[in-house]
Amino acid sequence: MASSVNPADQLVRRATWIVIAAYQEARTIGTVVARLVDDHWHVVVVDDGSEDDTAACALAAGAWVLRHAVNVGQGAALATGFVYASRDPAMRFVVTFDADGQHDPSAVPRLIAPLASDTADVTLGSRFLEPDGLGSIPASRKVLLRLATRLARWTTGLKLTDTHNGMRGFRCDVLSRLVLQQDRMAHASEIQAEVARLRLRYQEVPVRVSYTPYSLSKGQGLIDAVSVLWDLLIAKTR
Amino acid sequence: MRPSQIVLLVLLALFAIYIFRLRSTSGDRVTYLGLAAIGVALILNPEFTNRVAARLGVGRGADLMFYFFIIFALFHFATTAATIRRMQRDLTRLAQALALATPRTPSPKNG
Repeated sequence: MASSVNPADQLVRRATWIVIAAYQEARTIGTVVARLVDDHWHVVVVDDGSEDDTAACALAAGAWVLRHAVNVGQGAALATGFVYASRDPAMRFVVTFDADGQHDPSAVPRLIAPLASDTADVTLGSRFLEPDGLGSIPASRKVLLRLATRLARWTTGLKLTDTHNGMRGFRCDVLSRLVLQQDRMAHASEIQAEVARLRLRYQEVPVRVSYTPYSLSKGQGLIDAVSVLWDLLIAKTR
Repeated sequence: MRPSQIVLLVLLALFAIYIFRLRSTSGDRVTYLGLAAIGVALILNPEFTNRVAARLGVGRGADLMFYFFIIFALFHFATTAATIRRMQRDLTRLAQALALATPRTPSPKNG
């Protein structure tokens, strides 16, 4: 059943869109959306050409649903969600969220707070700031994330502790200035590059990530890391 | 005429017909027909490539053709890769525009 929300929080919820990019997530998307909708958030799910019931599950759980006719990549799906959210004149904040159930809805207000108080243009979730956020991350994934973080710090100059976290918050006025061209997974690095290029005010927010065998199987491995590097190199040389 | 020359000429003729049907722009047709004509000339005069190769310091005519082939293949690979990237980008734009034109909204209880 829906929980009650005080008037101030209600205003924030009216001004916020949660954007979820989902590909073949029928198993988890319903629960993920339902938990957010129960908490009175507006959720738009961009189904990136799934062949399962991702779109139907998201719709049944109370999300707005946009559907890519073919699979074109998570970066493109998030961009589609951003455009849709921007059509709402009341929109002031956008938060991105993962579809696989590893993110905690209770972290959403913490991502919005620095945006609402105008102390940041962009907020980025970090697993490494949460005291027990590290506990459940497998060692191999930890090493990969540390390397990715090193690389991002080196290329963008941003002082981040976690560079590949799907939970991010954006103020509406910066959304239209972001130029996102990476259709696939390299968009995470691209967002950081844009934050650096546009000199946006950014702030990291501790978030918990619960790893399940399912979310791990959907996550990024070493092979993906290599292909992300490739995408970025191609973009640099274009 | 040697048997190998007949085989090569037939293959080249088939290639020319294929290009003529596949490529609709006249520029492409002229280019490929020009290449095919050079091919015919080289097949009928194998010694010609040897003479050119000797002048360029390459050795045999077959080596010269091989080097040309590598350059052509690399060029072809690069243009094909660029075409695929452009098509991928167009496909993304198309999928996004279509998705944004047909949003599905949840039932009123959630709105």
